Amino acid sequence: MKNLTFSTFLTSNLSITPSDLDPVLSKAKSLEVRKDAFLLQEGEKCKYSFYVEKGLLRQYMLDAKGKEHIISFGPEGWIISDRESVFFNQPSKFFIQALEDCTIKLIDDSLVRLISEKVPSFVDFNTRLLHNHIRALQNRIIQLMSFTAEERYLEFIALYPDIMLRVPQTMVASYLGIAPESLSRVRKDLANKNFNKKHTSYLT
Amino acid sequence: MKRDEFLKKSVWGSALAMLSVPFGRKMLSKSEKSQPVADQRGVEMVCSPTNTHMVGNGFKVMNFYPNGKGFEERMSPFFLLDFNAEVDFPASDIAHGVGVHPHRGIETITFAYKGAVEHHDSKGNHGIIHAGDVQWMTAGGGVLHKEYHEQTFNRSGGAFEMLQLWINLPKAHKFTPAKYQSIKHTDKPKVDLSNDQGTVYVIAGEYEGMNGIASAFSPIHMYDMHLNSGADFSFRLPSGFNSGILVIDGEIKVNGSKAPENHYVQLKNEAGKIQIQAEKKSKLMVLSGEPLNEPYVSYGPFVMNTEQEIKDAIRDYNEGKFGF
Repeated sequence: MKNLTFSTFLTSNLSITPSDLDPVLSKAKSLEVRKDAFLLQEGEKCKYSFYVEKGLLRQYMLDAKGKEHIISFGPEGWIISDRESVFFNQPSKFFIQALEDCTIKLIDDSLVRLISEKVPSFVDFNTRLLHNHIRALQNRIIQLMSFTAEERYLEFIALYPDIMLRVPQTMVASYLGIAPESLSRVRKDLANKNFNKKHTSYLT
Repeated sequence: MKRDEFLKKSVWGSALAMLSVPFGRKMLSKSEKSQPVADQRGVEMVCSPTNTHMVGNGFKVMNFYPNGKGFEERMSPFFLLDFNAEVDFPASDIAHGVGVHPHRGIETITFAYKGAVEHHDSKGNHGIIHAGDVQWMTAGGGVLHKEYHEQTFNRSGGAFEMLQLWINLPKAHKFTPAKYQSIKHTDKPKVDLSNDQGTVYVIAGEYEGMNGIASAFSPIHMYDMHLNSGADFSFRLPSGFNSGILVIDGEIKVNGSKAPENHYVQLKNEAGKIQIQAEKKSKLMVLSGEPLNEPYVSYGPFVMNTEQEIKDAIRDYNEGKFGF
């Protein structure tokens, strides 16, 4: 089993040993939340970035008609946050909800400062994370503007290989910005394209 | 940078946990200490009922294994034992069950004790498992299915008691074509115990010369025992077979060790008689199988032999190979 604690995440990306890092991280708050619990609701101010050690989060907004739009999923090893709310101290537009029982590390400004003091290379790493995040968002915008449903789905399963196993297809359709029926059609077309008679012989 | 490379590199942090085991822990109680008795198979432990969790919104189960404590191998080839002890579901217009999900590399066996479960798969197969019936589904190379409370039962509500067992398929049969064995209660071969002590329904393997109705891919014995209060009898299972007994209803003693309702008795792998004394009218599930002794890797609904096979299963599922 892969160890995806926040400590492992940092030690595998920075030149610091767990024994040097753990005293710093002992100050970090952990949270155990049950499936369906909310870490953030619309209108609240988001105080933390949420690092997922175990479980699965989703971040979504409700439109004027009450329809859900999922902007991101956060499985193990991901950080989910509303940076607008945290950094600019604004009420959030988003909900962040646990889709499974979760173990979460809470990252706030004081923790970032503390780690930066102990591990100077963390500053560069944190900047890199921010740019990664911007890159991912840019990509997502382009995909939503110009990709076909099938192209979006293929990018989705490359990015999140096991999410289809963990959430209902309606949530994946919401993330992709397509109707659930379109997702079903995409999967059907892919199956027809990718698996010829020879390969499906063991599927009666 | 190519687009797909670009995207992969934008993943925050590390990749997903391929091997997370999404199952709860349980409390074990040591079996009553008793001196070994000649020619009796020892009781390794008696497991208390575990905390329950919901599978979808239709199954309130206690999970005896796997549980992260090595039981996956301890009871090989039996991989998972989820027991929904009797619970009352209210009448509802909302369907109770588990939505569409795939399986590969295992057989899933569903025993309905109370209530009824309806099943659909992506190939158009459909069935209803009524109280007493058994559905033996060989997922093999792949199945995409959903399981719900049968519609009439769902609307009326009532007592619901169900057991689901996963049997790991041997490496040589991992990709066997998917198939179903639908076993009606009235079709189960049975052995009536003397003096009205009860009946042993032989699901698989053999009991006192009576062969079971279901076929499996590795040597197993599986008995659905219905015992009357006061039953006191013994039988044997092969010493090398991993063997255990779940008390569905009632209360028994196994070679002197007390096992109340919803407790699970793990037997030692040794020769000897297994003496059952029913303190009350009881229903038992007796499982016994030859260990596979093969490496396995499991992830969610898949149990395979290598991590690559798990990745393949996830990819095949994502790309619609199991259905859509």
